Amino acid sequence: MTTPFLQIRGLRKTYDQVVAIDHVSLDIKQGEFMTFLGPSGSGKSTTLYIVAGFQEPTEGQVLLNGKSLLDVAPNQRNIGMVFQRYTLFPHLTVGENVAFPLRVRRRPEAEIKAKVDKMLELVHLGGYRDRLPGQMSGGQQQRVAIARALAYDPPLLLMDEPLSALDKKLREEIQFELRRIHQETGVTILYVTHDQEEALRLSDRIAVFSQGKIEQVGTGEELYERPTSRFVAGFIGNSNFLPVKVEKLGSGRARAVFPNGQAVEGDASAFASGSDGTLMVRPEQMRIRPGTAVGQELAVTVRDMTYLGDSMHFAVQTPWNQELAVRMAVRDGQGLCIGSSAVLEWDTQHGHVFA
Amino acid sequence: MLLDYDRLGFWRWILVAIGVVVMLFLLLPILFIAALSFGDSQWLVFPPPGWTLQWYEQLLTDPVWLNSLFTSAKVAVIVTVLSVVLGLLAALGLARSKFFGKSALQAFFLTPMVLPVVVLAVALYAFFLKLGLTGTLTGFVIGHLIIALPFSIITIGNSLQSFDPALEDAAMICGAGPLEVKWRVTLPAIRLGMFAAAIFSFLISWDEVVLSIFMASPTLQTLPVLIWSTLRQDLTPVIAAASTLLVAFTIVLMLLASLLKKGTRS
Repeated sequence: MTTPFLQIRGLRKTYDQVVAIDHVSLDIKQGEFMTFLGPSGSGKSTTLYIVAGFQEPTEGQVLLNGKSLLDVAPNQRNIGMVFQRYTLFPHLTVGENVAFPLRVRRRPEAEIKAKVDKMLELVHLGGYRDRLPGQMSGGQQQRVAIARALAYDPPLLLMDEPLSALDKKLREEIQFELRRIHQETGVTILYVTHDQEEALRLSDRIAVFSQGKIEQVGTGEELYERPTSRFVAGFIGNSNFLPVKVEKLGSGRARAVFPNGQAVEGDASAFASGSDGTLMVRPEQMRIRPGTAVGQELAVTVRDMTYLGDSMHFAVQTPWNQELAVRMAVRDGQGLCIGSSAVLEWDTQHGHVFA
Repeated sequence: MLLDYDRLGFWRWILVAIGVVVMLFLLLPILFIAALSFGDSQWLVFPPPGWTLQWYEQLLTDPVWLNSLFTSAKVAVIVTVLSVVLGLLAALGLARSKFFGKSALQAFFLTPMVLPVVVLAVALYAFFLKLGLTGTLTGFVIGHLIIALPFSIITIGNSLQSFDPALEDAAMICGAGPLEVKWRVTLPAIRLGMFAAAIFSFLISWDEVVLSIFMASPTLQTLPVLIWSTLRQDLTPVIAAASTLLVAFTIVLMLLASLLKKGTRS
């Protein structure tokens, strides 16, 4: 097997007594769009800064094409980076900002001119070469920053929450642009964000960070459909968490017993029999139908219902007084009203049990 | 706002009157001396009976006056360069690092601003006598530099504060080495602050008289010192001409500084 393009090996960073990241390891393929997703303080930015060279790890190694990056000074790493604030040089025109990395590399003038034109074309800012950054909108400035970061064809582009200062509409527009730029250039991207929707929209794979560790790495679909921890399930998408006691059934399956004694089967790989756990079910995987529960069926009461156009949102109350969210197609919700009794159902493969 | 000028009613006329009086008080002596410098009366009669440029002619042909003018300019230029360079280094150090005693050092850098100049002058005089620096260009430069430097540090420090250090990170990751980052990004971004510091430093040295009196020797004196010492011997309109030149040059530099300030804001 060939060596992975970028290897992050057992990175650890501590400030005094505080552990910022703890044994973060990750392999990234060439051309991959990898997103670090997590709440603030989860260590995603620290990991990015170590790759960039702004911080040094207490332990661990970063290898690019099998060679250590940590021994290379930040200005020699040949990595592109886009920051949260646009960080364009205010005294230089847009064209000179993009030319900057080429000028410090002492490239010939003709090459610089051609490259700047090409990069501004790439980010659709062809006519803006002579503007000053101060005369441009935030979205335009961030595009210039992307052009500058890609002007020297870096093998790796780091992006630190680049869209968080923009409003929603602009953000979506630039997300779309980013996907196109990624496809056109084939550059490997490490992208940091706390916005799960943005992560799902952009990434080939997502690494979910929590408290200095990577909780799970996978495609958006894997993280959404098969989260391996309660944190990941809660951070990506909406979820219902039901308190359960787990009784092991063998072959990776378990029986989850609710507080009122009723039980369902669920997916559980690493639980001791009798341990407390949480059963997670996505709101759109749950269904309710009017009627009274019989046998093992879960009886719930409709507390609230909201019409959302393409779907209907219900808040239902369980026999143990927990409120759950249920999302269904509008026509499936007919015959239900606030206060009515209903039966709550879901397919067992959509239930995930966590410790 | 509640205290807007337009809402003051009758009171605003009192404010206007006070303003006019203060302005006259500040400006009249200068206008007076400027008028006298063009008057043809040997005895500084006001209003001048006639007009002439002869005092300027005398001023610009007398080697003593010319020498002092030249000395003033030389000292001011050297002080300006040193003040901006040292001020930049000090401001960078204060803005970018954390170390024990930083605020104490900051306060120390600014003491020449609050210390009475005459105290500083006496102390420097006694010290420089021992070193043999009185009456030398070096003595003038060091003395003026001490009082110009705080202004330099403050002005450059302020412009560094509005400069985002992340720009340096961005330049670094673009491939520029530490010195190249400072040269291509940091310095151009704070250049207006540096210009302002240069103008302030020049003016401080150009107008300085207290320290200069202590530093001066009969053969080496700046223009303000010569005006002062000539004034003690006799009253000639040449002094008025020299003063007017001094003021005119100062006004030009002040205008330049305020234009630059406008430039930083927009």
